[in-house]
Amino acid sequence: MAEHAWMLAAVPAFAFVALTATGRHLPRQGDFVAVLTAAAVFALFFAVLASFLGLGDAAWPVLNSIEWTAIGSFELRMGIAVDQITIVMLAVITTVAFMVNVFSVGYMKGEPRYWWYFAVLQLFVASMLMLVLADNLLLLYIAWEVVGLSSFLLIGHYWERRSAVEAAKKAFVTTRVGDVGLLIGIILLWDATGTFNILDIFHAVEAGAVGETRLFVTMMFILLGAMGKSAQVPFHVWLPDAMEGPTPVSALIHAATMVVAGVYLVARLLPLFESAGGALMVITIVGLVTALFSGAVAFAQTDIKKVLAYSTVSQLGFMFVALGAGLVSAGMFHLFTHAFFKALLFLGAGSVIIGTHHHQEMGQLGGLWRKMPVTAATFLIGSLALAGLFPLAGFWSKDEILHAVDAHRGALVFLLISVASIMTAFYTMRLFVRTFLGKPQDEAIASHTRETGAIMTLPLVFLAILSVIAGLAVFHEVGDALGFPGGFGEFVYLHHPEVFHVDWGLAGFSTALFVLGAFAAGWLYRGGRLDRATALAEWQPRLYELLRRKFYFDELYQALIDRVVLGFSYVVSWFDRFAVNDTGVDGSAAMTGYAGFLLKHLQTGRVPNYALAIAAGVVALTLITLAVGG
Amino acid sequence: MVPLENYLVLSGILFSLGVYGVLARRNAVLVLMSVELMLNAVSLNFVAFAVYLDPGRATGIVFAVFVIAVAAAEVGLALAIVIRLFRNRSTANVDEAATMRW
Amino acid sequence: MGSGEAQGYVLLTALALPLLAAGALLLMPGSQRMAARYLSAVVGAILLGLSVYVFLAYQANGEVLQMQLRWPWIEHVGFLGENGISLHLGVDGISALLTLLTGVVAFAGTLVAWKIEYRVKDFFILFWILIAGVYGTFFALDLFFFFFFYELAVVPLYLLIGIWGSTRKEYGAMKLTLMLVGGSVGIWIGIFAVVHEAGLGTFDLPTLWEAGRSGALSADFQKVIFPFFAVGCGVLAGLWPLHTWSPDGHMSAPTSVSMVHAGVLMKLGAFGIIRLGIQILPEGAAFWMPALLVLGTIGALYGAIAALTQRDFKLISGYSSVSHMGYVLIGLATLNEVGVSGASLQMFSHGVMTALVFLLIGALYDQAHTRDLRDFGGVAKVMPLWVVAYVVAGLANAGLPGLSGFTAEFHIFVGAFRTYPVFGGLAILAAAIAAAYMLRMFAVVFFGPLNPRWRDLKDLSPIEAVSAALLVVSMLAMGLWWSPFTDRLANTVLSLPGVTS
Repeated sequence: MAEHAWMLAAVPAFAFVALTATGRHLPRQGDFVAVLTAAAVFALFFAVLASFLGLGDAAWPVLNSIEWTAIGSFELRMGIAVDQITIVMLAVITTVAFMVNVFSVGYMKGEPRYWWYFAVLQLFVASMLMLVLADNLLLLYIAWEVVGLSSFLLIGHYWERRSAVEAAKKAFVTTRVGDVGLLIGIILLWDATGTFNILDIFHAVEAGAVGETRLFVTMMFILLGAMGKSAQVPFHVWLPDAMEGPTPVSALIHAATMVVAGVYLVARLLPLFESAGGALMVITIVGLVTALFSGAVAFAQTDIKKVLAYSTVSQLGFMFVALGAGLVSAGMFHLFTHAFFKALLFLGAGSVIIGTHHHQEMGQLGGLWRKMPVTAATFLIGSLALAGLFPLAGFWSKDEILHAVDAHRGALVFLLISVASIMTAFYTMRLFVRTFLGKPQDEAIASHTRETGAIMTLPLVFLAILSVIAGLAVFHEVGDALGFPGGFGEFVYLHHPEVFHVDWGLAGFSTALFVLGAFAAGWLYRGGRLDRATALAEWQPRLYELLRRKFYFDELYQALIDRVVLGFSYVVSWFDRFAVNDTGVDGSAAMTGYAGFLLKHLQTGRVPNYALAIAAGVVALTLITLAVGG
Repeated sequence: MVPLENYLVLSGILFSLGVYGVLARRNAVLVLMSVELMLNAVSLNFVAFAVYLDPGRATGIVFAVFVIAVAAAEVGLALAIVIRLFRNRSTANVDEAATMRW
Repeated sequence: MGSGEAQGYVLLTALALPLLAAGALLLMPGSQRMAARYLSAVVGAILLGLSVYVFLAYQANGEVLQMQLRWPWIEHVGFLGENGISLHLGVDGISALLTLLTGVVAFAGTLVAWKIEYRVKDFFILFWILIAGVYGTFFALDLFFFFFFYELAVVPLYLLIGIWGSTRKEYGAMKLTLMLVGGSVGIWIGIFAVVHEAGLGTFDLPTLWEAGRSGALSADFQKVIFPFFAVGCGVLAGLWPLHTWSPDGHMSAPTSVSMVHAGVLMKLGAFGIIRLGIQILPEGAAFWMPALLVLGTIGALYGAIAALTQRDFKLISGYSSVSHMGYVLIGLATLNEVGVSGASLQMFSHGVMTALVFLLIGALYDQAHTRDLRDFGGVAKVMPLWVVAYVVAGLANAGLPGLSGFTAEFHIFVGAFRTYPVFGGLAILAAAIAAAYMLRMFAVVFFGPLNPRWRDLKDLSPIEAVSAALLVVSMLAMGLWWSPFTDRLANTVLSLPGVTS
C-alpha cells in the first residue's frame, strides 16, 4: 500500500473535479462528498502507515515512479517517495484536513459559493499531499505552486470584499517572489547533478558533484522559496493578511499544513543544507529573527486571528531554528505538535466568530467562558499547549528545540530562543484571558453569543485530545507500543536515531519560561482588565506604535512597490510609447512621409519635364556606357 | 551603294530633331509630331540594319512595320486626348495640362 | 513512403480546404449570412479534425519529416534545375504541433466570428485565405512556397483589421502591415541570396538544409545572411524592439482576428527563424544567437514590466505577448534540445492562451464598449464562466504548473540555465512579474464589489463557451500530461543542426 500512497492525493483530486463539475447541483451542495473524501483519505493514511511500518526500515524510503518524458538526454521521471518525514507530514495533513472539512460544514453554512469552497479545499489537500509525496523537486515544485493557487482561491473566497482580494493577491505574489528563488535553485541543482530526483541529488552531492560555494548559493535560492511559503521575515507579510479567508482555511492552510511546506522543504533537503557551508547558520538566523519579531508583534495585535497568525509565524521560526541546528527530528516534531494545537486554536477562533456572529476583535469580546464552555475549554488546552505547559504537546516539542539549540548552537541562540518562548507564553495567555475571561466588553454581542453546534465542537475536542497526547510520541515506549521503531527521534532522523531522555533541568527551565510569560500576561490583563496594559502602552507610545504597526513592513513594501516597481513600469511604458513607438516606428514612418513630401515636387505633372528627364537620362546612360565600355 | 553610315546619320538627325521638338514645343500636336519623328528615326534604323547586316531575313523590317502600326494607334489615342483637352481647357499647351500630379 | 504519401494528401487537403471555402464563399450571395457562418464552422471543424489527425499521426520515433508530398512545378528552366520549385509538403515535430495549434485556434476563431454582422461573407473569405497561408507556411518544404504562404497569411490581415477593426484601426492595420512587409523584404533578400549562393538551382528546403550543413554555404555568408531571416521573421515574432505593431495591432483588430493573429501568426515568425535561420544557416545561427538571446530576454522582461501598469485589457495582452514571445526567442537561442523544445511548446502554449484571452476580451468589449480596467469591478458576480476562463488563461500566462505555460517555460528555463544561467534567472523573474500583472488585473476587474453599471452584463454565449472550453482543454492537456507533446518534438529538435544536448 505504501508504494501506492499516490492514491492519497488522487482521491481528493478526483473529488475536486467531481465537486467542481457537479457540486452546485448536488443536495447540500456536495459537502458530504468533501467530508467523505477527507474521511477516506484519513483512513487511507492508516493503511499506508501500516504498510509502511510493516515493510520495515530496510525498505525505506518506499519508491514508485514512472517514466515522464525524454528529450534526448533530458529525461524526467515522476514518482513518489515515502519516508519517515513524509509519514509525519501525511499524518498531520490527513488529520487536520479531516477535522477542518467536518468543521467547515458548520462554519460555512449558508455562505456564498459553499460548493466551490469545498471543491477548492479538496484541491488543496490533493496538492499538499502530492507535495510531501513527491520524489523529485520538479513534482514538488508543481504541487508547491498548486498549493499556492488553492491558498489564493481560498483566501479570496469572499471576493466581494476588497480586502480579501488584496490579501489573496498579496499572498500569491509574495510567495511567488520566493518561488522564483526556489525554481532557480531547483534548476541549478539539476544543472549540477543532472537530475531532479531528491535521492539522486543527495548521492551526487555526496559524491562531490557540486562545489561548496555553488551549493551554498543554490541552497540560498531554495531557502528563499521555503521562506516565502513559511512566511519567514521578510516574506512574512502575507500570512497575517491571509486571515481574510474563512477561518477553517486559516486553520488548515495557514497554520497546520501549507505554511509548514517551507519547513518540510528544508527538512527534506537538510543533507544539502548541511553540506553547503554556512547554510544552516543562515537558517538559524532567519528562524530566530522571525520568532522574536513576530512574537513581539503579536503583543500588540487585537484581532484574534491576527494574534494567531503572528504566533504561527513565530512558531515557524522555532522550526527553522531547530532545523538550523541540524536536527530534523526537533523541527519535524514541533511541526507535528504545532499542527494540532494551532489548528485547534484557529478552529476555536472560528467557533468564537460563529458564536458571536462574526466578531473577532478582542476589544469587543471577553467573558466568553460562560457562554461557550466547550470552545473555551478546548481553546485553553490549545493555548497551554502552544505556551508549552508540561505535559501538553507543545512542551515536549519546545523542549526538543531547546535541547537541540543548547547542544548545537551555543548560548546566545539559546538565550534568544528562550526569550521567544516567554513571548509565546505571554501573547497566548493574553489572547485567552482577553477573549474568554473577565467581563464581556460589549453586552450586545455577549447577549447573542451561543455555543456552536456539535459539528464544530467535536473537531475541537478531537484536536484538543491530540494537543494533549501528541507530545508523548517522543517517548520510546509510546512509539514502540504503536508499532513504530521507537519514539519520534528514533523514527525521524538524519544521521542516527536518538532515544529521548527527559532532561529534568531543561524541563524545569522550560516550565519557568512558561510561568514567566503566563504570569506576566495574567498580571497585566488580570480578569480581562486593560488598565495596566494601557498604562504600559502609554509609557512607551512609540514602541507600542511600532509593534502595533508591525514594524512598518507593510508600509515599506507598499512604498517600494508604488514608487520603485510601478514607477519603473511607468518609465518602461513611457519609453515604449514615446521612444520606441512614436519616435522609432512612427518616426521612421513620418520620415518616409516627409521624404515623399519633398520628392513629390519633382512630380510636376508637366509632360515636357518628364521628357527632359528621360532624355537627360538617356544621354547620361550613353555617356556612362561609353566611358566604362570604351 | 549608299553606305550604311548615311542612313544612320540621317536617322540620328531625325531623332535629335524629334527630341528637340518634344522638349521645346508647347503645343501638344507638335509634341506628338515630334514623337513621330523619333519613331520614324528608329524605324529607319531597323530597316537600314536589316538590309545591310541581315539581308536574308526580314526581322528588322517586321519591327518597322510593327512600329508604324503602334505609332498609328498611339497617334489615334493621343489625338483623342488632345481634343478632349482642348475641349475642356480651350488650349493645347502641354504646360497647362499639369493636373496629373500630387 | 506509401502511407506517408497518402498522409501527404491530408496536408494538401488541410491546405486546400480553406482556399476552397474562400472560393465557395466568393460564389455565394452576400446576403446569405447564416450560410456563410455555417459553412465556415463546418470547414473549421473539419480543419480541426485534420489538424488533430496530423498531430496524432506524426510518429514520435519515426523519421523527422513525415507525410511528405511533392508536386513538381518549375524544373529545368533558367537557373532552376532538378526540383527547382515544387509544392513540397511535409511536417516535422515542430510543425505538427503548430498545425494542431492552428486547427484549435482557427476553429475557435471561426466560432467567435459568428458575432460579426458587417460583410460576413467578405470577412470569412479573407479569414480562410489567411488560415490557408498559415497551414501552407507550416507545411511548406520549399522555400518559394514557404514565402508565398507566409505572405498570403500576412496580407489579408490588413483588410481584416482595416475593415472590421475598432480603435484606431487604420493606424494599427497600416503599421502592422508595413512592419511585417518590411520584414518580408529582408526574408526575400535572404531567400535569393541563399538559393544563389548554394548554386543548386533549387528552392527545395531539405536540399538547402543539407547544403547549409555540409558547408556549401560558407560560414561568412551564413553570418551575413542570418540577420535578414532573424530580423525579418523576428518582426512577426514580436522581437524587441520591433514589437510595437503588436499592442496597437491587437488594440484595433476584431476579436477573431486578434485570436488568430496573436495565437498563430506570431508563431510563423518564430517558426521562420527555425526553418530558415537555424536550419539553413546553422553557423550563422550559432554566431548570432547570443544577440537574439539578449533581445529575447529584454523583450521578456520589458513586456512584463510594461504590462504592470497598463489600463487597457488588450494592451496588457499585447505586452504579455511580447514577453512570452521573448521566451520563445530565449528558448531558440539556447540551441540545446531542452530550450528549443521549450520554445516550441511555448509557441503552442502562448497560442492557445492568448487566443483565449482575446476571445474573452472581445466578449466583454462587445457589451461594455470599454476596455479600461478601472471602469470595472466585481464582474465575477455577473460573468462567472467568463471569469473562470480568464483566470485559467491568466494563470497559464503566469506559468502556473498544471497549465501549458509552466510546461513550456520550465523547459525554456532549464535550457537557458544550461547555457546562460543569468538569462535563465532573468526569465524566471519575468514569470513572477507575469503573476503580478495578471493578479492585479484579476483584483481590479473580476473581484471586489460589483460596479452597478455592469449589472446587466451577460456571461459567455454557448458558442463562445464551446470555443473557450476547447482552448482551456488544450492548455490543461499540455500542462498535465506533456509527454505526447515533448515526445513528438524530441527527434525533430535533436535533428536541428547546431542543437546540442
